[in-house]
Amino acid sequence: MVKFLSQEWAEQAKKKVLTELDKAKDLKNMNATLLNVIQNIPPDNKTIYYYIKFTEGNLDELITGTDESLKQKQADFIVTGDYTTFIQINNGQMSSAMALLKNRVKMTGNKMKALTITKPIDTYNNCVKGVPTEY
Amino acid sequence: MKLLEVLETTRREPHCGLCKIDFLGTNVCSAGKKHGFVAYWPEGRMELARAFAEKEVEPTEALRDIVNSCNMCGICDRQCYFVTQRRPTQAQQALQEYLNTLPPQALKPTPEDDIVKGLRAIVGDEYATNDPVIIASYQRSIIKQKSKGKYYIVMPKTTQEIVAIVNLANTHKIPYLPRGNGTFFGVALQTLLAEPATIEQGIIIDMWRMKDLEVDPESITATIGPGVTSFELQKAAHVHKLRANVAEAESCVIANAQNLGIVTTWSNTYGWGTDNFIDAEYIDSTGTIQHLSDKDIPNPYAAEQGLLSLSLIPSVIVTKLTLKLHQILPDEEAIFIPFNNLPDALDFAHELARRNIGVSLAVLSRKYLTEFISPTHEIAEDFNYIAEKYLNLNYIVDVICDSHSKKIVEDLAPVSFGKEMIKSLILGSSKLSSMKDSSLLKMIGEEEDPLKTVFAGPMRKHFEKGLASSPKELVKDMDKDLQDFFEKLYSKPEMTDPIWLHNYRILPCRMERKHMWMYRGGYMPGDKKTILKVVDALEQPAKQYGIEGAFGFLSYLERGKLCHLEYDYYYDHTDPDARHRVNKAIVESWRQQFAIKGVTPLEFICSKGLHRKEHIIYPLLPGLSKEELEHFEELIETLFGGEDTW
Ligand SMILES: Cc1cc2nc3c(=O)[nH]c(=O)nc-3n(C[C@H](O)[C@H](O)[C@H](O)COP(=O)(O)OP(=O)(O)OC[C@H]3O[C@@H](n4cnc5c(N)ncnc54)[C@H](O)[C@@H]3O)c2cc1C
Repeated sequence: MVKFLSQEWAEQAKKKVLTELDKAKDLKNMNATLLNVIQNIPPDNKTIYYYIKFTEGNLDELITGTDESLKQKQADFIVTGDYTTFIQINNGQMSSAMALLKNRVKMTGNKMKALTITKPIDTYNNCVKGVPTEY
Repeated sequence: MKLLEVLETTRREPHCGLCKIDFLGTNVCSAGKKHGFVAYWPEGRMELARAFAEKEVEPTEALRDIVNSCNMCGICDRQCYFVTQRRPTQAQQALQEYLNTLPPQALKPTPEDDIVKGLRAIVGDEYATNDPVIIASYQRSIIKQKSKGKYYIVMPKTTQEIVAIVNLANTHKIPYLPRGNGTFFGVALQTLLAEPATIEQGIIIDMWRMKDLEVDPESITATIGPGVTSFELQKAAHVHKLRANVAEAESCVIANAQNLGIVTTWSNTYGWGTDNFIDAEYIDSTGTIQHLSDKDIPNPYAAEQGLLSLSLIPSVIVTKLTLKLHQILPDEEAIFIPFNNLPDALDFAHELARRNIGVSLAVLSRKYLTEFISPTHEIAEDFNYIAEKYLNLNYIVDVICDSHSKKIVEDLAPVSFGKEMIKSLILGSSKLSSMKDSSLLKMIGEEEDPLKTVFAGPMRKHFEKGLASSPKELVKDMDKDLQDFFEKLYSKPEMTDPIWLHNYRILPCRMERKHMWMYRGGYMPGDKKTILKVVDALEQPAKQYGIEGAFGFLSYLERGKLCHLEYDYYYDHTDPDARHRVNKAIVESWRQQFAIKGVTPLEFICSKGLHRKEHIIYPLLPGLSKEELEHFEELIETLFGGEDTW
């Protein structure tokens, strides 16, 4: 078991995606950068940044941390929400698209482009869900 | 009466919520009025009788209290029979009998937890609960049936209390969701929209107690709280000879304004969305109170467009709204122009819209006309059959205007009729139904233009006479014990007055008499070509999946430049297969609608009522390309899973 959003979790998640997902079939050769801003993490309500970068369907980067410099990363999409929501997304209770629909997360970025990556991001989340995680 | 004996009725409970307003002058359920929670109202008793019959909830002490709070006065039977032909006292009797079978030790109190303690500290002990029985009464009208989530119900009285509730929810990191009268939920929760429209756990904020209502005749405005229904606001406005632009009677005006922007036949003159109001007070997700008129807030009117803009959950809780009211003209009259086809009806109505004729202007379908004005569903079905088969009456342009405009409409109209004929049709609907396939109707049907024959020609007198309309005749087929009441009721002038009925909108929930329906349609340019394409895009999926689909109504905005169209899918929501098919038809109709230039499907307007239509509708969406439609399929699959899971 690794702690959700920890360094170890990030490493395991990246390894899993790189080994299990097909760049073309599963990740649709997507080019996208996404910064998740995960707020209100107990016990002291800190914020963790969770950044991913895909080039031609390859997961180039998966970084998590509290370092403010992560916040400066250029991202096509910034998704902001509560820790509880990201737990639901990570354990498969709710897709990120549904979280958006339910106003649980806010997203900035080009909505039309977001539409093109909805499916591959969902596939990505479903894969990452397989990392044995504690919250 | 056993729970299972009334299950057929209780499963069909549509949660129209009309029992909460005094729309027939009977007063309302005293238990509901005293306690407030849905469980104590007739709609809640129906839901509870179903939930117990289907073993979805265990009894608690609250059950005894709910059952004992009813004095069997029968007000609910009158109200409910008028709208949906149901008898909530049967559900109450079944609950009573069920309660009698339980040993006293079976009724346990519900232990408090920290959250309910917190809520009670905010609103008082009697207005917050975590009792599973009370919670179960909110199923299918904000909570998904069989949901396993942990819920709380709270009924605040003030804005400050809601702020405290939002803060409490944020502290405990649980979601919350406001409920007006639950009628939107009642419709959406039967479909694949259930998931995005509701919360899987958390705090339900029932707005019923927030009934502040003040009319300012000087500024011709009203300021209301979120518990005020359309009927209540209209009544208060009417005292000052003013009119509110509101939708069906039971909807809470604020919920409706926030949710769909208030779509009415009056939109022709009074507008839609932000046209309707002056200011709103709301609470954001951090618990901060804001006003639309605050100068330092980000632009509150800008709205997302397109596929990813679907959002069925409000982003703020509206706690106060100042609405525009409108002066009523002293010489308003109703005039109806019947048509046998939609293109002709659209041409006629559009011409009126362009010329700014008609304070209220709409194209109504045969289905709406017959269902709304018939006292029972069976009569409505016969009337519908007769209108189609013999009268050629398929659409009606429905106008309320001043006497000058009326003359113009009469000049332009091939055939028209007024309030006397509507009165005859309402009071004669039962007789008309008995004339099904009669020689008189056959004779009319053989005429070259039956509409002219009936509504303008020499047969008009015979037709009206044949209807023998009277309240006594009308109530003949109703339940015996209710006939006296209904005879008196239908003798009241307002029950047959089309202007009153347009103002107070007490009839639309008759659509829910037989079973459920689902709104379809949306906003689009007002040209006939687009409208007909959209009707086709809605009709085809209904046919493809074996759903009964019917045009509902169309109203224009901005002198016919834009319009709102409602088309409905009717289906048996108690049949899993029908639900499956309706879901498929919904998705297919989105797909088809989005491919048409300038069309925004109705669901994509949800939660945008406080935004400007200019931001929602313009720039007109180009119509999705093939590639974008493929992404749409992926989005749907991501959101709702594969077709077989809907
Ligand atoms: C038979 C029928 C006919 C209808 N005809 C029309 C029509 O002609 N025109 C039209 O515009 N609509 C129509 N509707 C739709 C309906 O009026 C609206 O959807 C309205 O919102 C229902 O009001 P409610 O109080 O029942 O809302 P609910 O079902 O309780 O809530 C609807 C939505 O509003 C949210 N909400 C409730 N209160 C608040 C608040 N204070 N702040 C923020 N969000 C809130 C809820 O969370 C929910 O998302 C019809 C519905 C029915 C059942």
